[in-house]
Amino acid sequence: MNTIDIFFDADEAYRRVRDSRILSKDLVARLYDISPEEVLGIFFVDEARGIKITVPKPDRVASGDPDCRDIYGALYYIPLLDIDIP
Amino acid sequence: MKGEVKVLSGVMMGDSLFDERNWAIGLSYNPDVIVAQGTSSDTGPAYLAAGTLYGGSLGIKRGLRAILLSAKERGIPFIISTGPPAGGNQQLEKVLGWVDELAKEAKVELRIAVIPGELDKEYLKGKIRSGSRIRRLVNIERFPEYLSEEDIDHSEHIVAQMGPEPIMKALDLDVDGVITGRALDIALHMAVPLRAGFNKGLAAHMAKTIECASLVTVPETSDAVLAILRKDHFLVLPTNPDSRCTPVSVAAHAFYERPDPNRELNPGGALDLSAAKYEPYDHRTVKVSGSRWIPAPYTIKVEGARKVGFRTISVLGIRDERMIGEIDGCLEQARKHVEAHLQPLQPMKDYTLLFRVYGKNGVLGEAEPVKQTKSHELGLIVEAIAPQEEVSENVCELAGRKLLHMDYPGRIATAANVAHPYSPTANKLGPVYSWSIWHLLELEDPCEPFHIEVRRFG
Repeated sequence: MNTIDIFFDADEAYRRVRDSRILSKDLVARLYDISPEEVLGIFFVDEARGIKITVPKPDRVASGDPDCRDIYGALYYIPLLDIDIP
Repeated sequence: MKGEVKVLSGVMMGDSLFDERNWAIGLSYNPDVIVAQGTSSDTGPAYLAAGTLYGGSLGIKRGLRAILLSAKERGIPFIISTGPPAGGNQQLEKVLGWVDELAKEAKVELRIAVIPGELDKEYLKGKIRSGSRIRRLVNIERFPEYLSEEDIDHSEHIVAQMGPEPIMKALDLDVDGVITGRALDIALHMAVPLRAGFNKGLAAHMAKTIECASLVTVPETSDAVLAILRKDHFLVLPTNPDSRCTPVSVAAHAFYERPDPNRELNPGGALDLSAAKYEPYDHRTVKVSGSRWIPAPYTIKVEGARKVGFRTISVLGIRDERMIGEIDGCLEQARKHVEAHLQPLQPMKDYTLLFRVYGKNGVLGEAEPVKQTKSHELGLIVEAIAPQEEVSENVCELAGRKLLHMDYPGRIATAANVAHPYSPTANKLGPVYSWSIWHLLELEDPCEPFHIEVRRFG
């Protein structure tokens, strides 16, 4: 699985994203080309001003498998950058 | 029971830098134990399977010197996991050789409890024979749901993440410190607090908070951090005087390396942070309370890696915009060319041909949101994996040669299509490994698979 942590510098920005309710399983599933049931979790933690999104690795490969593209899962956050926050 | 226990935590990876002044500040708090973790599965299966060291020797030697010598001098016990990254026996022995060298150089004698993290294959097969069901930890279908004796035989090396119990036992052996192979990171930091009778939820959360040392501070540095564990809370602070811990930086670290920020399964229980409270204690120290431990059956994670074949790659550059526009068709043509050659040769058919197209979707594959590349050049890795090295060489050569000379719509080159930076153009990268074991082993006795050896160095 991959897990993506999003942290904010300011409470206001964090609350704006959290309260927009745009980060749903449906949206994450669409961005990663998986089904909403496969999204393992979307967590909002106010104390950390952070959001965690956990999803399976693409093609369900394990890290380091021959067809793995990113052993650390380092760049798997990129598709999230295109989300427009209202 | 003492009122508090102080844990000084560094990291023992190859790139760790120990700033001597900040290290001395850490020591000035008179810690009860010095801890540094140095094993990981992050870098993939090849290291465990081949026994390769990761990260270079320089940082490890520097870390060992700082920790072992200052601990010995002050009579503070140390707990280190090492053998980077995988923590297998070969890697651990390599580092223990350095320990001996530096002890001799410094003219000190160290009595160390060594706990290798590698599991004996016969032990593990014996567990299966006596009815243990060793279940997979992730829902990836190519991992067997329950481990078989065959899976064990096929693995090159197998390690397990030991919990705090073997380390606690080792601390009873009148030693200067403990060095383990593969271990659960937080087990190292939990051992002394649990031995002193502190609350397990708080000890685990404290350990989780300081396991990566200054990753929990702002700004991040490569210095150690200090935690002070008391009856109903713990404090965490940097040793670097220019860094701070803040309630946000400490709460944020609970996200790190786990799928759920509020709950993490560990050997013998889950760490539950849903009621954890983070408060400023002073301008650079954070007070944490409310962490809970929810007991569960005792399990340890077992990791194994196996050989799946050999890899040959060819790295090439594409600069003609017409070829870039036709890249999918070109790759398909190359794939068909390889198939046409190999199809009549039954024994050679078993191979995997991959094209990694950097500049198009080499990083994200199908998840790449940019469907139409705007690059004026592409970097292409042609990669062939096969059980026999000769097959992987042939597949890579055939695909690369075809790309070099194929025709495509609009082609104006009359000779070669692609730029090869290297001679030879196809390069054998040797064996390819995959994780073969990523499973949970249930144990009655947490110490059962691990052997403690007291050894003298120097």
